[in-house]
Amino acid sequence: MKKMTLAIVLVTALLCVLAACSNSSSESEGTQATDSSKKVTLKIIHWQQENINNYIKEFNTKFEAKYPDVKVEYTTVPADATYDQLMQTRMNAGSNGDVDILPLKSSFVGAPQEWSSGAADPMWKQWIDAGLISDLSDQSFIKNYNEADVQNAMTYNDKVYGVNMGKVAFTGLFYNKELFAKYNLEIPTTWDELQHVIKVFKDNGVEALGLAGKDVWPIGLAVQGLQASIHEDQLAYIKGLWTGETKLTDPVQLEVLQKSQDLMNNAMPGFMGIDYGTLPSLFATGKVAMIADGTWDATTIQTANPDLKFGYFPIPGSNDAAKNKNLAGKYDMTWMVVDNSPNKDYAMKWLDMLSEKENYTEFVNAAGFLPTQPDVEMTSEFIQGIQPYLEGFKLSWDQLFINRQNVGQYISEASVHAEMLKPAGPIATPEELAGKSQADWDAAAPK
Amino acid sequence: MYPFGKGKARLIPYLYLSIPLLLYVVFGFGPSLVTILFSFTDATGVRGQEWSFIGFENYKTFFGASNAGDRMDAIGRSLYFAFAVVIIQNAVGLFIAILINKKLRGDKLYRAVFFLPVVLGVTVSGLIWQLVANPLGGPAQSFLKFFGTSSNFFGDYNIAFELIIFVQIWMYMGYSMTIFLAGLQSIPSDLYEAGYMDGASGWKAFTNITFPMIAPAFTVNMLLSIIGALQTFDIIYVLTGGKFNTTTLAFDVYATAFGTGTADYGLASAVAMIQFLFVFTISMVALFYLRRREVEA
Repeated sequence: MKKMTLAIVLVTALLCVLAACSNSSSESEGTQATDSSKKVTLKIIHWQQENINNYIKEFNTKFEAKYPDVKVEYTTVPADATYDQLMQTRMNAGSNGDVDILPLKSSFVGAPQEWSSGAADPMWKQWIDAGLISDLSDQSFIKNYNEADVQNAMTYNDKVYGVNMGKVAFTGLFYNKELFAKYNLEIPTTWDELQHVIKVFKDNGVEALGLAGKDVWPIGLAVQGLQASIHEDQLAYIKGLWTGETKLTDPVQLEVLQKSQDLMNNAMPGFMGIDYGTLPSLFATGKVAMIADGTWDATTIQTANPDLKFGYFPIPGSNDAAKNKNLAGKYDMTWMVVDNSPNKDYAMKWLDMLSEKENYTEFVNAAGFLPTQPDVEMTSEFIQGIQPYLEGFKLSWDQLFINRQNVGQYISEASVHAEMLKPAGPIATPEELAGKSQADWDAAAPK
Repeated sequence: MYPFGKGKARLIPYLYLSIPLLLYVVFGFGPSLVTILFSFTDATGVRGQEWSFIGFENYKTFFGASNAGDRMDAIGRSLYFAFAVVIIQNAVGLFIAILINKKLRGDKLYRAVFFLPVVLGVTVSGLIWQLVANPLGGPAQSFLKFFGTSSNFFGDYNIAFELIIFVQIWMYMGYSMTIFLAGLQSIPSDLYEAGYMDGASGWKAFTNITFPMIAPAFTVNMLLSIIGALQTFDIIYVLTGGKFNTTTLAFDVYATAFGTGTADYGLASAVAMIQFLFVFTISMVALFYLRRREVEA
């Protein structure tokens, strides 16, 4: 009988261990857990980006001070597919999910349009359609944001489902001002001028251009810069792909691929082995004069080398300077509230407080975002410096492109695969890659 | 007659066994059954969304959709991976085991060194080789520079997959070595003495005594490395993330479930089922031949 008892104890212990495992996997921030039993735990998940995470942690402390019966559990994981998985698993856990507030990496993009029949629904649309996301239309804090931005970034089916925290641009190049001054170089405004800049650096033994090829998508930032300046109207072109009026083999797209190949041919040696995390430090230490990266990394570069003088300009893909004068990018970070969460009230209070002018201003300055609220004062010199390029802000290719289901590798995901071209990849000519992409696209046409 | 005693007491072992059984059913067998079920549905993985049975549609998508070519490439790569890993890993493992079995001075050190990668685990091993192959001043790059050449290593379409195979072999050769070593040490030394009398030494002793005697160890090693290689996903994820033509069937399961930005658990389950049948079939065929060889020997 004693052994029986032992067995029961063992089973119980094992189950407790398992239960404890599922709890301990989330890192919790904030106040002591001593009297947490009486407290409401507000669960927020996020991806890792140091400057932003630090601000949110600070903000959570403020929030907990204002609402003493709330404990915020703020969990962060790497920004790659790990975060997408975390969103999926947390949303699916139990009938209430295991999260109260979660941000999307973009705004509500990628929903099938009337011209894209048969395209797959993105995850956020599946969630909203299943009634899992709260309707924020009537919340007072929505009024703090620009009407146009609410319409463009936070609205789906005429209802507001998210709070977008700002825009980022990523179709430009960071440049080292001191190196430019040393060789008497101006910011290039046309493709030929960019070629000149690269040539001068190369002639003087300076690495001109850094790309983070190992993660592939950072090359895509430069490619999207070329697309934004070479295409007259990207959305019309994308619609045309669906209707058959345009092809991936059109001269304009071949020009994009050709110039992408030129950039890669001029990039620093070994760029296909450089990962995204390393790139800013190479630039900050002056090892390379220009890098293709998003404006959000300005704070990272500044932290890596506070003395560095640097700026940002749009990649001039065209020889018509007028087409190169604007940056393209996306609406970043969109907070959503889980609708049947028991802590919905506090979730709304959290968003309300974050949307207050003072807190929001601190946030965008910490994050390096371009504000979606009116009259926000940007203290960052860097943002002030790129202001002229933002007046005609355009949405980038990956925000506009809608893909067909089950497409092959040459056109899969949201970007054009210039990285498959030599010297990065195995394909020799832009014509060959364009042909393969178009063949993949045609093969995936809805039957 | 009564190995566990009489009366109620004999039930005790079954009670103990019921604990792992219960855990296995709940966390292993149950989800596997659900996967089979899901593979015939259009379940999206979104809570509260309806799903229905759609027969073999997901399997048709796998074999017939416009990206089926990429999937066949992934299957081809799985086979290539398994073939290379099984042959080289076991050959190297056996070779090292025989050397260590010679009771050289410091054989314990050698054992530890070769077994170390197994202990390190996938992430650490991945990190080590990432650092070695760092194109900016990593030791491998410096080595190539000495010969006037350079490489992008894991960022290179031409060699990334071969490098992953190399790392996989490096990680698990110690494992094969340990099993072979156990087999070698179970061979009684008088067999070799008798063989020596009959004129069998060196290579002859190896083919006629050693190799037949370690047949069970050989079977275990072959099976483990076949199954392990066909299931490999982690080291690919760590080293290249499936980029640069390094996707295998096992990686495809992950990519379908989590990598596309749209949830499609139905298709992902079907891919998982195909992966299971793939591994099952190949290992059963291998087992059949290996066991037959054991009996003949």
